[in-house]
Amino acid sequence: MFTRVLFTEVMKLRRSRITWISLLAYSVGPAAGGLFMWIALEPRRAADLGLLGTKADLAGLTATWPGYFGLLTQTTGIAGMLLVSVITAYVFGREYADKTARVMLVQPVPRYWFVIAKLVVVLGWMAAGTGLMIAEAALVGVALGLPGLTPSIAANGVADLLLAAGIAFLLASPVAWLSALGRGYLLPLGFAIVMLVIGNILGATAWGRWFPWSIVPLFAGVAGPRAETLAAGSMAVVVCTAAAGMAATIAQLTWADQRQ
Amino acid sequence: MSLSSAIATRSLGKCYGRVQAVHDLDLEVRRGEIYALLGRNGAGKTTTIRMLLGLVRPSTGEVEILGRRIGPLETEGFRRMGSLVETATAYPNLTVRENLELHRRLTGTPSGVVVKWIDRLRLDPFAHRRADQLSLGNLQRLALARALLHDPEVLVLDEPANALDPAGIVEIRELLRELSAQHGVTVFLSSHSLGEVSRLADRVGIVHEGRLLEELDPSLRADEQRYVEVRVSDPDRASTVLQKSGMRQVTRQDGRLRVYDSAGREAEIARVIVQAGIDLTSLTPIEDDLEDYFLKRTGGLS
Repeated sequence: MFTRVLFTEVMKLRRSRITWISLLAYSVGPAAGGLFMWIALEPRRAADLGLLGTKADLAGLTATWPGYFGLLTQTTGIAGMLLVSVITAYVFGREYADKTARVMLVQPVPRYWFVIAKLVVVLGWMAAGTGLMIAEAALVGVALGLPGLTPSIAANGVADLLLAAGIAFLLASPVAWLSALGRGYLLPLGFAIVMLVIGNILGATAWGRWFPWSIVPLFAGVAGPRAETLAAGSMAVVVCTAAAGMAATIAQLTWADQRQ
Repeated sequence: MSLSSAIATRSLGKCYGRVQAVHDLDLEVRRGEIYALLGRNGAGKTTTIRMLLGLVRPSTGEVEILGRRIGPLETEGFRRMGSLVETATAYPNLTVRENLELHRRLTGTPSGVVVKWIDRLRLDPFAHRRADQLSLGNLQRLALARALLHDPEVLVLDEPANALDPAGIVEIRELLRELSAQHGVTVFLSSHSLGEVSRLADRVGIVHEGRLLEELDPSLRADEQRYVEVRVSDPDRASTVLQKSGMRQVTRQDGRLRVYDSAGREAEIARVIVQAGIDLTSLTPIEDDLEDYFLKRTGGLS
């Protein structure tokens, strides 16, 4: 039954513009990162670029493969997390915005399958976006001739990216719940933006490692010095948040009155 | 619930905060019957339909469809039910065919039915058109096709004739009649169209302020509410002579007589009264239709 539900959830994305827009958004990260790398590689030309050159210099970028991967991990930690929230709000919130929730919820299918299938769709979507990002980054890095590529650096760089993307995905389930609770897009997107801001602020404090939305920025080095490894406690906080968000979404679809 | 019941509710009620939307609703709809719920805006029709479909949790009571409880955790019953709640909706980015295909897969219905229902509801010219490019009438047809696609035994339809043109309304009425008469499908519908309800339904439940006021058979009501009203100088004697001449159902109301079961006998009524030497002041054939009756039962036009 689950494969049937999953198939229909994928089917719902046909001709959906946001699929392509989001993939385009994923491809912006490596391109922008590549531009910064190029500026760092070519400081004379960077000087001609004025402000952009100054910013790239202030960020303390080094034009190497580890530097490029670090930049991409930061992008995934901030923009990627917001993008996953947008995708999740779309996948769940559209059922309310399009008034199709009342069609979906009278199917001979346990309602939790819809929640799980939608989260799998978000995961697949995010994996495709991250895959695209990695492939594009490889091309850009090679084209720029960035130094310092070894198999272990490549493996560590990709692993960091995947971990940041994975945490961003785990934090999508509260967004899913708020889409069902708010019956649309506004509440989940507002929540995602507020959490991103709070997460970056708290990341600079000692509490950051216990606040789910600070953990990716901390790990990516956006909110202060980069944490090389994630504490088990931090991962537990993320996993618990994911589980609570998923349980709340299932409860919302199962027990709340669907008056839309 | 008896074996012949398709839909049964017991003490069904719903409270939204302090507002009691539905009170102690006891309904029993027989298999193969077309039952219409009639009520003003806010009478509780849509809340009742949502409770039947498990979209809203009852505050009191329970619902059984085809002998099984229905609710968010009892979704298997939806395999035998088709529904349309409020306005017709569909996935806007999918075509008519894709919307039906999606529903077919979820209900586990064999392939081939999509083409059948596209054809049956005259959606062929729009089969490859996106749902957001359909007219309201065709969107309604798509929603009806989706409700019927998996050959349900029970149909729960909120305003099924919404947005349809007059020919479409007749077409859907005939379709629902056929499903009920030939395939034993039970149809539970709500409608604002009193004319439509009186033409289609076997039984009508009038709801007002969340309560079921009365259940009636529209065809019987039509006979009951057709009568001739006469004003005469001596109502008692006129009543007696009319009954002696074979008009058994004569009642007296505020000095006037109502002669029931008298369609086409106006001339005979006048002759009997005049021949008895009673002065006849007026004679008016009256047809008190379902609309008049509904308005009387639910407090007039106020």
